[in-house]
Amino acid sequence: MDASKNHRIDLKGIVVIVGNYGSGKTEVAINLAIFEKKAGTDVRVGDLDLVNPYFRTREARTLLKDHGIDLVLPPKQYLYADLPILTPEIGGLIQHPGELAILDAGGDDVGATVLAALADHLRGRTVQTLQVVNPFRPFTDSIDGCLKIRREIEAASKLTVTGLVGNANLIDDTTPSDIEEGYEFVKRFSAASGLPLSFITAATDLLHRLDLGRFTCPVLPINRQLVPPWRRSEPDY
Amino acid sequence: MGKKVLMKGNEAIGEAAIRAGCLNYFAYPITPQSEVAEYLAKRMPEVGGVFVQGESEVAVGYMLFGASGAGARVFTTSSSPGISLMSEAISYIAGAQCPAVFVNIIRGGPGLGGILPSQGDYFQSVKGGGHGDYRMLVMAPASVQEAVEMMMVAFPLAEKYRNPVMILGDGLIGQMMEPVEFPDQLSTEPSNKDDWAANGMEYRRSDKRNLVKSLYLDPEQLNNHNLLLKSKYERMKQEEIRYEAYNTDSDYISLIVSYGTMSRVCKTAIDNLKEEGIEVGMIRPQTLFPFPETAIHDAAGKPSCKSVMSIEMSMGQMVEDVERCVKGNRPVGWYGKCGGDVPTPEEIMHVIKEGI
Repeated sequence: MDASKNHRIDLKGIVVIVGNYGSGKTEVAINLAIFEKKAGTDVRVGDLDLVNPYFRTREARTLLKDHGIDLVLPPKQYLYADLPILTPEIGGLIQHPGELAILDAGGDDVGATVLAALADHLRGRTVQTLQVVNPFRPFTDSIDGCLKIRREIEAASKLTVTGLVGNANLIDDTTPSDIEEGYEFVKRFSAASGLPLSFITAATDLLHRLDLGRFTCPVLPINRQLVPPWRRSEPDY
Repeated sequence: MGKKVLMKGNEAIGEAAIRAGCLNYFAYPITPQSEVAEYLAKRMPEVGGVFVQGESEVAVGYMLFGASGAGARVFTTSSSPGISLMSEAISYIAGAQCPAVFVNIIRGGPGLGGILPSQGDYFQSVKGGGHGDYRMLVMAPASVQEAVEMMMVAFPLAEKYRNPVMILGDGLIGQMMEPVEFPDQLSTEPSNKDDWAANGMEYRRSDKRNLVKSLYLDPEQLNNHNLLLKSKYERMKQEEIRYEAYNTDSDYISLIVSYGTMSRVCKTAIDNLKEEGIEVGMIRPQTLFPFPETAIHDAAGKPSCKSVMSIEMSMGQMVEDVERCVKGNRPVGWYGKCGGDVPTPEEIMHVIKEGI
């Protein structure tokens, strides 16, 4: 399924993914990386999630590797440590981002704090910081809630949010109208914040039930990778 | 029921406590449970509730005891090592017959173990943990929605029996995200708190004086006290057993007993085996104490059933209860892991095929 038929996701350089807990940053980062790689872009990914114990980008390391995507992780012996380990290789990734380097931060201001530690590396570089929003999550079900999270993340990360990603979903229970409702919500957030809407997401198996023409932004198809052990991750497109 | 929202198990447990009318939360952070505390640090002030972070889990256990003794609806959340530290207070609370709800989002053990999912605290929850002759009513959710529903009944059950109730979830229950709906709000006041609360006679509907204690120096009194506690545990066995039967209408050749998120892996394995023409049934205890003894005994005794497997993320704890229920009528096996890697459906299918 080619979402770029409507609009192209136009991201280059360093892209930082932020958002509140459980907004879907990691699922967006993994799917965006594979989508862009398949479109011919050289992609690197950095797992900066120091606050979440489970369901991190590192769970998809084999998949990303199979696609030829370089994933920068803490050393193997610390992958399941309950410690905020920031590998120095992240600095290298920022210095040499290639065509597209995606940095997947942890949730909320707490998870974004790590970005401030990278301020020296990021200084003087063009960085796009995208805030992922799922209006079906607590604390971001209102525009005020989204604006508050944005302020908190900006204060903690020392970065300025430059764009939005609409990631409205209820995982398996998502309906096309949820995605349409989520799109309208993130458009309102975009108007209230003055931030452009970079793209929205939709599960690949829902795409054919959506009127893509109604969206004024690109749609990133999502094949769920972070699944519980009784489910198989979805084959990529 | 309200609008569907997407929540992490830990957040949903926190929200469910509020909906269940519990506005008193004491806790100490520990992975993989800390999001409950983070969530309630934001939410409790919004609803006029209280979250106090204790200086340790030992302190938290006694904060619950004190607040419950004064008639407040209380709960805490922790993970395995934290529950070990609270276990002394749990024994005191059970001894003093005060209601309280404990949530254990289990991580790997023993000792510091690891932060990934485990079910290694079965014995601790079901067989004691603390000292003396007490039991907790223990419920084990298999989904975020079920965790919410169990939280909603945990408080009334704790008050009905004036006894600690535990929600036992493995790390996955706390960390995974699922769509969830919340039932309507309950009242914040335990309706029967005149029975135990030492909260001042001016707040009392009766003239009964209450003393919150677990000290009984007279041997006859202590024995009678324990007989009273025992009668409550017997009543739980009569009235509170909950379980789910899966594919037990079929002529299954093997019966799985599994609980929590492990049972969901087993369900996938059972569905896959069905496609291969192999029928397997499952009993999923939703209450671990009281344990669904008769259901397991009867399901194991079905003529088509040749063997029983206890599948758990531990080195073989629940299997002892399964053996007790099956009473030697069928061979009982065990399969499990407890390092943090949850067994896959393929592994379970392989184990079942080897056993038949």
